Amino acid sequence: MSISNPKKVSLTIAAAGVVPSVAVAARNKAVSKLMAGIRDNDASVRTEAWQSAGEVGAPAVKPLAKVMTNEELEVARAAKRGLWKIVRHVGRPDAADEKRVVVGKLIELLDDDQPVPVRREVLWMLSEIGDRNAVKPIAALLSDRELREDARMVLQRIPGRTALAALKAALKAAPDDFKLNIAQSLRQRGEKVPGLDCVKLIPTKETNVKSLK
Amino acid sequence: MKRIKKINRREFLAAAGAAVSVPYLIPSSVLAAPGRTGANEKLTMAHIGVGGMGGYHLGDMVARRDRGEVNIAAVCDADEKRLAGAVKTVGHDVEAYRDYRYILHRNDIDAVVIATPDHWHGVQMVHAAQCGKHVYVEKPACCTIEEGKAMVAAAKDNKVSVQVGSQGRSQPEAYLAHRYLVNGNIGHIDKVNCFHYNSPEDSNPVPDSEPPAELDWDLWLGPLRWRPYNQRYCHGVFRWLMESGGGQIRDRGAHVMSCAMWWMGADGTGPVTVEATGTSPTKGLWDSAVTMDVTYTFKNPDWVLTWNQHTGNAVPAEERTGNEPGGKISRPGYGAVYHGSKGKFVHWGGDGGTWVEKKARQWELPAGAKDVYKSPGHKEDWFNGIKTGAKTIMNIEAAVGVANLCVLGNLSYILGRKLEWDQAKQEIVGDRQAQRMMYRPQRHPYHL
Repeated sequence: MSISNPKKVSLTIAAAGVVPSVAVAARNKAVSKLMAGIRDNDASVRTEAWQSAGEVGAPAVKPLAKVMTNEELEVARAAKRGLWKIVRHVGRPDAADEKRVVVGKLIELLDDDQPVPVRREVLWMLSEIGDRNAVKPIAALLSDRELREDARMVLQRIPGRTALAALKAALKAAPDDFKLNIAQSLRQRGEKVPGLDCVKLIPTKETNVKSLK
Repeated sequence: MKRIKKINRREFLAAAGAAVSVPYLIPSSVLAAPGRTGANEKLTMAHIGVGGMGGYHLGDMVARRDRGEVNIAAVCDADEKRLAGAVKTVGHDVEAYRDYRYILHRNDIDAVVIATPDHWHGVQMVHAAQCGKHVYVEKPACCTIEEGKAMVAAAKDNKVSVQVGSQGRSQPEAYLAHRYLVNGNIGHIDKVNCFHYNSPEDSNPVPDSEPPAELDWDLWLGPLRWRPYNQRYCHGVFRWLMESGGGQIRDRGAHVMSCAMWWMGADGTGPVTVEATGTSPTKGLWDSAVTMDVTYTFKNPDWVLTWNQHTGNAVPAEERTGNEPGGKISRPGYGAVYHGSKGKFVHWGGDGGTWVEKKARQWELPAGAKDVYKSPGHKEDWFNGIKTGAKTIMNIEAAVGVANLCVLGNLSYILGRKLEWDQAKQEIVGDRQAQRMMYRPQRHPYHL
């Protein structure tokens, strides 16, 4: 921008300062309104709130995740449904930019400081909209005994070479009790897995019920 | 009668050669073999899932056994109370299993009836077919598009006869409706409006808890991703979970839309667009749409199918004496209205109760008119398919086509947007998220 007209420049700079502030304020207001609705005692208000979460979008991701483990069962459920609403909204065609931001926020929720139920749910959200940037943090959970099966299934669903490579690498590193699971994911992705046969048809569970003689 | 082969897991593994040489670790004696049960040979059945509709099927099969028509070799359930009850129902000479895979290994069993919750239908049907068993599987056939494809392939590759439990097609009045419509009595039909009442909301949500001692929760969940047990998942109420029963559109839609697809001559076809709206439950675990409206547009020929799920909407009625082929209309709250160029036609039900308007019941087939297939009964039609290789009235291809309508309707509702469908490629067009949701990864080892 030319500085030959300082007055124009300063007006422009001032406008640049004001507009983002207005946008941030509006965004914060939308999030606050959403969260108030999610926490409401009235089931209809909570429902209306979570159904509107898609339009609020990425700024609501972390606030909703925080409430997903609320001790009030229905409040927690509303928060979870609100987060899913965002995922389904940004997954629509021609919303790549919105989706990218939400994926970024979801990836941050895979960190150790988040409760297991939140991370498990976030994994499945990423199974629908996650891209190759999500693969590495998801793959890191393959060594977490509580989350590894979900992480495996999610990598199985995310298309592309990065997810496939992560599964192949995981097979090499996996403990014996998880190798067959990963082998199945690789087979589902069209890979041959010599030496690790499919055990889907081997019965494993006995019954205590006896036949009548 | 074939010798009953009893085997436990240790013996199974020894027979399979627990070393890693066979891809699916199935003994060769179990693998599907060509050839069919002789016309006069009694079929030996097993039942997988013996609660709810499973209990109905078991009772029906016991009656057939008592008439000397079939043998019943085994019953199976993940709930040991239900399993014990089933053993009492059948009486002597029946083995009980918790794990259905023992049944699939048995050479003496010809066919299985699968009446487990919907999320198991695809996996168990495919496994049964891969082990050479003919299959009767409850509707809806599949929970995802990919499951449906796998089921069709498994039936074809393994040459087994499959009947899906949309028994409306086999009801006496369904035959009357079919021949009435196919002979142009209401002219060219360009719209079929299916009506149904709401899906229920969970009025009694409870926290997660430990499963009851008799229930194998891991086995009940099967292919679904892990979650703690909650009383509101089972039994029977799996119908209202989107990932299992999928709500009324899948539970009854699989019946009502089955009739529509059949009478419209639309088996093997699919819509080009699907658009759904609906209302959600306001609380509780159940997440299927309470009210719902779905529009399916078909091309070549052009027609529209709708699913309208609203309690309180006016539904057509008909007075009956009880002497009609289907008797009195005991369930008038769901059915469909067919709109033709020369008039309308109504049917109610579409499942074990299918009732059609008087004008169709009373219509006589004139000389030269087209008659249609009349099912001898849904199980009888299946037995005939097993013995002769004839396609069943609700074969897996047709059933998957109907289930896909339900699946797509729910997907459009969940995503909040219209979907485009390519029937030839069997895939959703232009929506990557929806494409990923055509398939659902399954928990090891309960997978296709």
